[in-house]
Amino acid sequence: MTINDIRDMFPALGQQVYSRPLVYFDNAATSQRLENAVRRLDGLALGANANIHRAVHKLASDATEEYESTRDAVRDFLNAESREEILFTSGTTASINLVAYSFGETFINEGDEIIVSEEEHHSNIVPWQLLCERKKAVLKVIGIDDEGHLKIDELKTLLTSRTKLVAVTQVSNVLGIVNPVKQIVNLCHSMNCPVLVDGAQGIVHVGVDVRDLDCDFYAFSGHKLYAATGTGVLYGKKKWLEKMVPFMGGGEMIGSVKFTGTTYAPLPGKFEAGTQNINAVPTLKDSISFLSMINKDDELQRELRSVDEYMYSSLSQIKGENEVRLFGVPRGTERKIPLYSFVVQGAHHEDLALILDKMGIAVRSGQMCAEPLMDRFGVTGMVRVSLAPYNTMAEAEYFIKSLGKAVSMLA
Amino acid sequence: MKTLEEAKQAVIDDFSMYDEWLDKYEYLIDLGKNLEEYPEDQKTEDKLIKGCQSRVWLDSKVEDGRLFFKADSDAIITKGIISLLISVYSGRNPKEIAEDDFGFIGEIGLKENLSPTRANGLVSMIERIKELARESVGHEPQGEVLTAEDAKELAPLYDNVIMAIKQVYDPEIPVNVYDLGLIYELVINKKHEVFIKMTFTAPTCPMADEVLAEVKKSVADVPGITGCEVELTFEPPWDQSMLSEEARIELGMD
Ligand SMILES: Cc1ncc(COP(=O)(O)O)c(C=O)c1O
Repeated sequence: MTINDIRDMFPALGQQVYSRPLVYFDNAATSQRLENAVRRLDGLALGANANIHRAVHKLASDATEEYESTRDAVRDFLNAESREEILFTSGTTASINLVAYSFGETFINEGDEIIVSEEEHHSNIVPWQLLCERKKAVLKVIGIDDEGHLKIDELKTLLTSRTKLVAVTQVSNVLGIVNPVKQIVNLCHSMNCPVLVDGAQGIVHVGVDVRDLDCDFYAFSGHKLYAATGTGVLYGKKKWLEKMVPFMGGGEMIGSVKFTGTTYAPLPGKFEAGTQNINAVPTLKDSISFLSMINKDDELQRELRSVDEYMYSSLSQIKGENEVRLFGVPRGTERKIPLYSFVVQGAHHEDLALILDKMGIAVRSGQMCAEPLMDRFGVTGMVRVSLAPYNTMAEAEYFIKSLGKAVSMLA
Repeated sequence: MKTLEEAKQAVIDDFSMYDEWLDKYEYLIDLGKNLEEYPEDQKTEDKLIKGCQSRVWLDSKVEDGRLFFKADSDAIITKGIISLLISVYSGRNPKEIAEDDFGFIGEIGLKENLSPTRANGLVSMIERIKELARESVGHEPQGEVLTAEDAKELAPLYDNVIMAIKQVYDPEIPVNVYDLGLIYELVINKKHEVFIKMTFTAPTCPMADEVLAEVKKSVADVPGITGCEVELTFEPPWDQSMLSEEARIELGMD
């Protein structure tokens, strides 16, 4: 299979902007949607549309089957031990907030400590700040070195008997380096401290085997994974989920409701209160089959690698007056996903993004929901180019040429 | 100096020379590069415009009744946009700026062609310019340069306006507001608009709104007057030393 075959599966890629072919390089913010996923969503909304679990009729049982078979597919995709450990949410942010609330209410007390890193997305910072405020707990931060690596040694000194949770990202949405999450999990577990991994970017390019990684929680979003918006997953180890108090109360999450006291439904229902995103969640199945298809296609993987290598080496080679400074420089055998955040000397990130836009290229500029990381590197923002398996060599070459033109306009 | 309408038209004409938005950006970049330098030490937090992705500083000063802007941004296209706004609005009467609808921005398609974050930034810039202009209205007529002819022409108007103000009485003391010394400032500009700053004997006057309205109406009715604005102030607070000679006699104080 070639990249061009992949492109055919994403109708949005065929459009033009300002009479130029669209070059979509903002995939880390949200990917384009698989046609299959959109068709499934449509089909469910226009056909097998009924509320799940609640009724005995045919449509309800079809809808329930679509929804619950997605849970099985996700369990298999993550290699989780049981389907009860897979909770559907509206996305990474909702998944992390669920843990911050439910784990927090159950296990966090005054003076306890939570650790995050300096490279976290705001979604993996603010819920913990809110929790710490509620519980008078303490938030500690693992630093980043100049090349964008987590300072694992710092984690060793930050971890104490009071640390109740460590929340780190598998891959930063700015730096793109694949973090040594396995090492982090081992380290934390040696101190009896559970770990939440933010997989929003990691799931897209790296994937996860939650049993091998042994993390306690793993969160990701469907919309970055070619599926419908408003879908997401929280994987949580049963031993935690069973003890955690519910996040939201409502229908479906209950065992029995009495004014003298209510009992909760068993997992996973306990954490899925109210009508779920029943038309959209099943599109995660399309993501999963798409990923397994492309991951085993060696020819395609070679082609994708060459686009990635071209981008990385071209950007690294821009020196001189308008030098490109890349953030997140992998060392040795370290992996970096095809995501490049940079600043260009003498050209503002916002100006670059604006001019590239007029050339038909969609890139991201600004703080990218990671203000502490911007402060760490002393910049007000960056330009970010993030690729998907449908981005071609021709697009990459056009981008490098256009970037040069944009810079010369600004310099 | 061009009129406001002429200045806008000049920008519209400049923009229409380019078909492609890339060329229009090029033009904005040029404007940005040529914007008058903004002193580094004045890039303070209070001069920053909120709501822009890039950082934009805007400062203003009133001189001879006209409002002058200076600005800077770390992003060059933004700097070009603010330069364009300055070229149209700087050096004008604050009231004219405050009352302008900035509609020509739509005419050149600028807002529509910006990314949503930058379009918001543009809106914030315009809001800030208007805010600064509004703050300066009322301070502006004193600075207006009057020729000898102007002064001569305005003199009888002053007399008539004072007469009109004297028709308004304090609700508690049987003396008109002028002789009570409640009028702190009275200015008539070349367009025959009247600006009055006045106070009350106490900040708690229950009839304040009625009295202000009465002054305004009475002055606006003077033939030749095109408008009247009354501003209330309690700085400095009123005291008896502000009474006029007539008022003292009236009240039997001497
Ligand atoms: C690393 C990371 N964490 C969390 C999020 C938040 O994801 P969502 O907005 O889908 O909840 C994102 C997406 O921008 C991300 O890149």
